Amino acid sequence: MESTVSVSKGVFLFPNGFKKVKSSKKKPESVFFEKLFEEESWYVVYKRNWDLIENVLQDLHHRTYSVLLNDIVNYIKEFSGRNEFSLDGIIPSATLLTGVNQPDHASQFTALLNIIREEITPHVAIINAQDAPSVKHLVENAVRQLICEQSQIDSSDCDDFNVKSKTKLKRGQYTMRALKNWYCSKYVNVSPKKNKHRVPPNTLVIVMPDFESFNCNVLQDFIMIVSSYTSCLPIVIVFGVATSVSALHKSFPYHISSKLLIKVFHSHSSPVYMNQVLDEIFLTHTSPFHLSGKAFELLTDVFLFYDFSVTGLIQSIKYCMMDHYYGDNMKSLCCQPDMLEETILNLSKEDLESIRQLMSFRPFLEQQDCRAKISLFEDDNYFRDVLYKQMNRLYDYLYSFYLCVRLLHAFVQDIPKNLLGKTVREIYTKCAVQDIVETTAFKECMQLLNFQSQMKLVETIKNGLKVVNTSLQNVSPVKPLQVTPKKNNMEDVIVNNHLGEGFVKNVRVHLLMFLRQIEKANTEATIITNSMETDDDVENVPGNRYKLKEKLLKATRVDRVQSEFEMVRLRFVSYLEEVFAKGLQPPHTQTFYEILFFNDVSNVKKQIVGSPRGALHTALSNPAHYLQCTCCQLASSESVVGSLPDLCLAYKLHRECGKHINLYDWLQAFAAVLRPDDDEDRHQHPVVQSRFTRAVAELQFLGFIKSSKRKTDHVMRLTW
Amino acid sequence: MASGFRLTFPSEQTTPVKEQGNNSPTKRTTRTRNKPKKYDDFLELTPSKQRVQRKNESDESDDAEMDEASPQKPTALFDSNDVEGQDIFKFKSRHTRQDLHNKVQDAISNSPKIMDSPLRTPKKTPSRAFKSHLSKTCEVTPRHVKEVIKKRIIQEVESDSEESDFSGTSSDFVPDESDNETEAESSSEDEIEQQKPSAKLNITRNVGNKMKAKDSDYFVTPDNYFMMNSSKKITTSDHTLSRLKNLNIEENEAQEHELSDEHKLKIGELNQTYQHIFNRWLYALSENFNIILYGIGSKRSILQQFQAQKLKKFPCIVVNGFFPSLTIKNILETIIIDLLENTHVPSNVGDIVNLIDAQLTENGVNLFLIIHNIDGTMLRSTKTQATLASISQIKNVHTIATIDHINAPLLWDHSKLSKFNFTWWDVTTFLPYSEETSYENSIMTHRSGALQLSSLRSVYQSLTANAKGIFNIIIQYQLENVKQAHYQGLPFKDLYSKCREQFLVSSDLALRAQLTEFLDHKLVKMKRTYDGSENLIVPIENVLLQQFLEQQNG
Repeated sequence: MESTVSVSKGVFLFPNGFKKVKSSKKKPESVFFEKLFEEESWYVVYKRNWDLIENVLQDLHHRTYSVLLNDIVNYIKEFSGRNEFSLDGIIPSATLLTGVNQPDHASQFTALLNIIREEITPHVAIINAQDAPSVKHLVENAVRQLICEQSQIDSSDCDDFNVKSKTKLKRGQYTMRALKNWYCSKYVNVSPKKNKHRVPPNTLVIVMPDFESFNCNVLQDFIMIVSSYTSCLPIVIVFGVATSVSALHKSFPYHISSKLLIKVFHSHSSPVYMNQVLDEIFLTHTSPFHLSGKAFELLTDVFLFYDFSVTGLIQSIKYCMMDHYYGDNMKSLCCQPDMLEETILNLSKEDLESIRQLMSFRPFLEQQDCRAKISLFEDDNYFRDVLYKQMNRLYDYLYSFYLCVRLLHAFVQDIPKNLLGKTVREIYTKCAVQDIVETTAFKECMQLLNFQSQMKLVETIKNGLKVVNTSLQNVSPVKPLQVTPKKNNMEDVIVNNHLGEGFVKNVRVHLLMFLRQIEKANTEATIITNSMETDDDVENVPGNRYKLKEKLLKATRVDRVQSEFEMVRLRFVSYLEEVFAKGLQPPHTQTFYEILFFNDVSNVKKQIVGSPRGALHTALSNPAHYLQCTCCQLASSESVVGSLPDLCLAYKLHRECGKHINLYDWLQAFAAVLRPDDDEDRHQHPVVQSRFTRAVAELQFLGFIKSSKRKTDHVMRLTW
Repeated sequence: MASGFRLTFPSEQTTPVKEQGNNSPTKRTTRTRNKPKKYDDFLELTPSKQRVQRKNESDESDDAEMDEASPQKPTALFDSNDVEGQDIFKFKSRHTRQDLHNKVQDAISNSPKIMDSPLRTPKKTPSRAFKSHLSKTCEVTPRHVKEVIKKRIIQEVESDSEESDFSGTSSDFVPDESDNETEAESSSEDEIEQQKPSAKLNITRNVGNKMKAKDSDYFVTPDNYFMMNSSKKITTSDHTLSRLKNLNIEENEAQEHELSDEHKLKIGELNQTYQHIFNRWLYALSENFNIILYGIGSKRSILQQFQAQKLKKFPCIVVNGFFPSLTIKNILETIIIDLLENTHVPSNVGDIVNLIDAQLTENGVNLFLIIHNIDGTMLRSTKTQATLASISQIKNVHTIATIDHINAPLLWDHSKLSKFNFTWWDVTTFLPYSEETSYENSIMTHRSGALQLSSLRSVYQSLTANAKGIFNIIIQYQLENVKQAHYQGLPFKDLYSKCREQFLVSSDLALRAQLTEFLDHKLVKMKRTYDGSENLIVPIENVLLQQFLEQQNG
């Protein structure tokens, strides 16, 4: 390979056989990567699953944006209908408050563009701040996009009257005047014979997604220019503002903002969107890949505390998924359940062996009898069979697990103090990390449920039923049968031993039953208390304070009779506890959970978050951490040994200095550590000097010190 | 010390009188002594530890409440394996010259000593510390210390209730007997300077008292930063490198001695391990992630291996970010003109990105952009990084970059980061940054002036005899007169007359013609004074000039 060191240039090209082909024969795109991994089954499965997720994400995207975008579109439509274009040079404009998570906005604006193109007008221009350093560029860009967009569509319509000439405009010729001429020729002065073809005049829409990054003056000028054309051009501007409306007012003085008719639209806040993405895509049993509690916590933390960007979150999840599948064929089991059988058959002997090595296989193994154990190890087919069964069990488990998480969410979301969290994802993390039924928070929640009023409880149960029904519908359309529980006897409430759909149906039946009972119990309980109160009222009439006190005291002593409602409620809560204890066992208790759950957080964390400073510091203060050498074992991170690499040694010595470092003293110290037994002249030694020089140069390169003019032969520390 | 406690535990109230006492100038000197120690206490009470402590205290119920009400904390972001932030970012106590000295002595005395680092010093009880302070200082007591002690005693008597203000800090201030004169000097210098910051600190302390204890350490910590930086004077010794005999060392002279055998071996092994992750990198790149490498040591060789092993069949562009005259335009030109064979580079970023994207997709080719030191000096501007980010975002462009500077991550805001879509890899190699630092004007070599001297010599040798004479005149004049308070340089008129005397030039014009050559090579600088006369200065240090003259004559 050629050298990439030169004193005359800093960029080197290695074409490696690349020749630009004038494209008539198009090569298939990016063959190389697929080729690299395509024979690996894990890669195939990964690719398929990720594509699946991406599609779902796209759908969700459209659904979340649609409401907001429709609002904007309707607003723009209001103006497009009008024949007289303007009211005294005022430009109608929509301001879309997007939030600070700018990386997410690109997709939002593309969606907006598409929908405007479909529903209102083909003339849309989108201008980013980076493309508009001056008014000239801005106008040029906008006009070109407005005209060109049209010409593309026109040519497909074969309605190309003088489009040809228009598209030939040179760069400098895209001006507002050109736009006006073009518009007039297109919509206003259409020759009569074309009248039947005549399209209704279309609005021109200009979108500026990142308002804050624009140069204020450029925008002001642009608005003034546009406003002077409003009499003949129906222009609508859409601003994307990341901060708040005040940004708009701050950058536009009165004479500008008076030219704008501003209407503000609010988009979803990004945490809401994130919750939606997580709830609907990743926290479902249909997701082919599941994050363990810890990994999930990490990712949501990165979102909440670092970037607030859903795009970033999705990329992180993607990375986790990549890591999960990477180089491991047994992960190809992590696929859609209906392909499971085929995949298991395709597993090689080695793959099966590695599955046998899984930690979660051991408890399962111990439960088997001796013969089964042997055949599990010896007979691959038998093992495949077991694997298939266990994987199906795992899927059943997942199904009921996620259902229970949601159910729990439905029950506890209104409970005061939010012990388990408000969102499904918070509850999920808690459930995935440990056996939630054992936690005090869960117990408290159940206690609080025990205090809920009839009305409230009925409502929550109804919510819970909704959750159950939707999840059942996802699996198989449920006939809305009005179930009558076969056994009315409460003592017989048994949670079935198996999980999965049957379990969920069972839960549904019981919920319905409890719902009815609670509704019924409601009235009876109140009657009892009423009758008691009427009794009291009779005596209460002569208002004696002492008597009242006595009575109250007595009332406390009397054992409270449980109303029927309370009894039912008690049973209900204990039933819930039972259900959750069954359904919410943490994933790591399940056999083969490693296949479906991504667990290797610490590994991925380095790649997603990265800690460059930490790495530098560790390497410099404790090089043995990386080198694994015996000579640099340090008593503490502060201590110094002569055998340290020069850079580390210089670094440690420099940490002992103040803001300014005397190079000479530093050199002396350096020399003294390197050659403790030498005489006074050790620092004069050229080897020592050159080593020191190099170390100092490297420290400077790393940004720890810089030269200082304050005093001769001193450097300044840049850290503290 | 006491006030330090007061800050962290607000229940311990002090009377206003005492506060005044603290502010009184008489006490300042004593306070300054304690400052480092006090600060260490704050350090010791890192927020996490503090919380634990608080839970033990019964009377801090409202604090506990605050903890509960406090906003959500990240749970998974930080774990025990992370580097303690304090190790990297902590404000150190005031540094004295002894620090370096002590450290070296510790290192030399082969005992596996535990440096009594400020963080680990056990707290002594006030009274004992006070005693030890007294006893220690008596041995060597310089006068100012005596005075200080006297004042302390007086104060102690005045306010007996107060936990002494100066517990256990003696250790780092008692002058070592072995220290020479300069050290004593510098320490007294320290003392004088420290008065100023102490007043500052007192003010903030009062503010801090009113705050909730929870926030207190938050308010104090930045103060320590200002305390450290408030002193204008540099308190290091006055040694200069000119004490070294052999100033002009060749940098590469001793490379082979540098590493012990074990280190060589281990570094080799370490670098071997990185080859195993090449495939993972490819995998990440294929999924449209970009890669960034960090960690100590040059990562050039690793990337070269990666390129040689994995990217042989694909167009690659290698960028040396450390190259001093690199511009973003160079990179763009290489991509657009050299690789994609266009005639010119569009002017704005959007067009550039569209162009590259379109042409790469059309050709169905993946371009690999290898950037050594994306944090290089020339690539640091926001605009450059934005351009790089936009290019890296293109589906068919794959970026592999390295960073070395400690503050490199500050280059990117979140929109750039999301465009880059980096995965981070710790690639610590411990290899020398030989290429990376070769362009740089290293502090040491700059000071020792080997480069300057040799370039001066080579230029000088190419001069005509007359020109050499002129240059000598300027140098000699400068060496003779530089001691003057306001040396302005050699006036042009004087130079002219001197040159004429020696028959070096015959006319004003000829002299100017000679001078342009010096000016072009930056051997001489011309300065115009207020009265319009032109003065000539050689912008090279006098030591070097002296050396140069000696060499020429010798």
